[in-house]
Amino acid sequence: MAKITFISHDGAEQVVDIPTGWTVMQGAVQNGVDGIEGECGGSCACATCHCYVDESFAGSLPAPTQTEEEMLECTSSERKPNSRLSCQIKVTPELDGMTLHLPETQS
Amino acid sequence: MFRFDPYSPAVDADPFPFYKTLRDEYPCFWSEEANMWVLSRYDDIVTALNDWETYSSARGNLMDEMPNRAGATLGTTDPPRHDRLRGLVQFAFTKKAVEGLNEPVRASANRALDAIQGEKTFDFVSQFSSKVTVDVLFGLFNLPRENEKMVRDKAVLMVQSDPATRQKGPEHLAAFQWMSDYAKSLVELRKVEPGDDLITALINAEVDGEKLADREVQMTITTLIMAGIESLSGFLTMFAYNLADHPDARRQLVANPALVADAMEESLRYNTSAQRFRRCLQRDVELHGQVMRQGDFVCLAYGSGNRDDRRFPNAHIYDITRKPKGHLGFGGGVHACLGTAFARLASKVAFEELLKRVPDFTRVQDQLPWMSSTTFRSPTRLELAVG
Repeated sequence: MAKITFISHDGAEQVVDIPTGWTVMQGAVQNGVDGIEGECGGSCACATCHCYVDESFAGSLPAPTQTEEEMLECTSSERKPNSRLSCQIKVTPELDGMTLHLPETQS
Repeated sequence: MFRFDPYSPAVDADPFPFYKTLRDEYPCFWSEEANMWVLSRYDDIVTALNDWETYSSARGNLMDEMPNRAGATLGTTDPPRHDRLRGLVQFAFTKKAVEGLNEPVRASANRALDAIQGEKTFDFVSQFSSKVTVDVLFGLFNLPRENEKMVRDKAVLMVQSDPATRQKGPEHLAAFQWMSDYAKSLVELRKVEPGDDLITALINAEVDGEKLADREVQMTITTLIMAGIESLSGFLTMFAYNLADHPDARRQLVANPALVADAMEESLRYNTSAQRFRRCLQRDVELHGQVMRQGDFVCLAYGSGNRDDRRFPNAHIYDITRKPKGHLGFGGGVHACLGTAFARLASKVAFEELLKRVPDFTRVQDQLPWMSSTTFRSPTRLELAVG
């Protein structure tokens, strides 16, 4: 289990407990985080679960796969160096306390 | 004594009362008829979808698997091979890639609608949903324009099972064989005449430094044709069925076509065509007081999870304002449907055109003929009266 904080584009904060092994997207969708859509169901095919990872956790995540890299080119809001697709982030206990900023639009 | 027999015509026609009993009383149920466990609650299905290491797809994902298919397709492979294979195919199915299909789908829908212009009744399956899906899929894969009706007929037949023997009958296996041979001929054709298309890409692709075996290319194409034709036309038919039975919802869509996308999501939740898929346990799992053993098959009843009140309040109500995020209409996890962007676009555009030209329709048949399938659910005919 890890506590993940989602901060929406307008600054609203939502803290969600996500079980280890789940993806961040799955945890967000299950808990009604509005700024994450996850249209494709978590298979890295739609880029609608885009998020910006807080700098302090940037080093804790494995690098994006080639597929994620390609999909990150398709995000609706600007891609930044800390952009990730939350369906590709597997929750581990080490991610407890991570903050994710959500983009203005997902699609 | 409660039983759940996914082969029975009663379940084909209306699985929802069975699902409710499963969810409320037997959330981890051993079905003797299916010879597997059945998970019916939303949370349990999502947990399984997110744990491919426990709930493996490598021994097949269809409730009744076809011979020699498991292990050779995306849906029947586990990571890491699955992810590499999927990475190769995905490019053709991203939102961006399918945007170009907007106008072809619109044109195709209008051709089908031209043909029924002036008719008082029509069969939505043979005269609209099948025509549009076959037409668009042939365009998407750049397939030679022959055998179109045959391909559709075989795609529909191959997903069925015999309710009496509880397995695939000779006609279903023959349809699968026909489709495999057809896919093989497409592969041979593209080897001689490569193009800028998915089949060529699969032939040339390498996973872990090795090219895909011919059988893998062939089975993957077979599956894509099956999903693209049978699942998509099945879903379009279910969407039309919902709008025929919910005239208020339909009138809202006619008045404001921007609502079509929301209504489509609700139909994907309410009665997705992909009702049930299966997995195989890689370790013992204890759930709701039952012990499921390593090697047991487990049915994930998406159609039931989508009707789970624990997740979707008043789940039995068709509500186009619901916006049912996280529904299981396309499955989920690493194996979530590859064609979601394509299916969404095609459904939206097809219904925009249909509702423009046929804004009012009602169902003619009182009882529908339901396809005999343990995995998919849709009627084989849906007669609609216009006006």
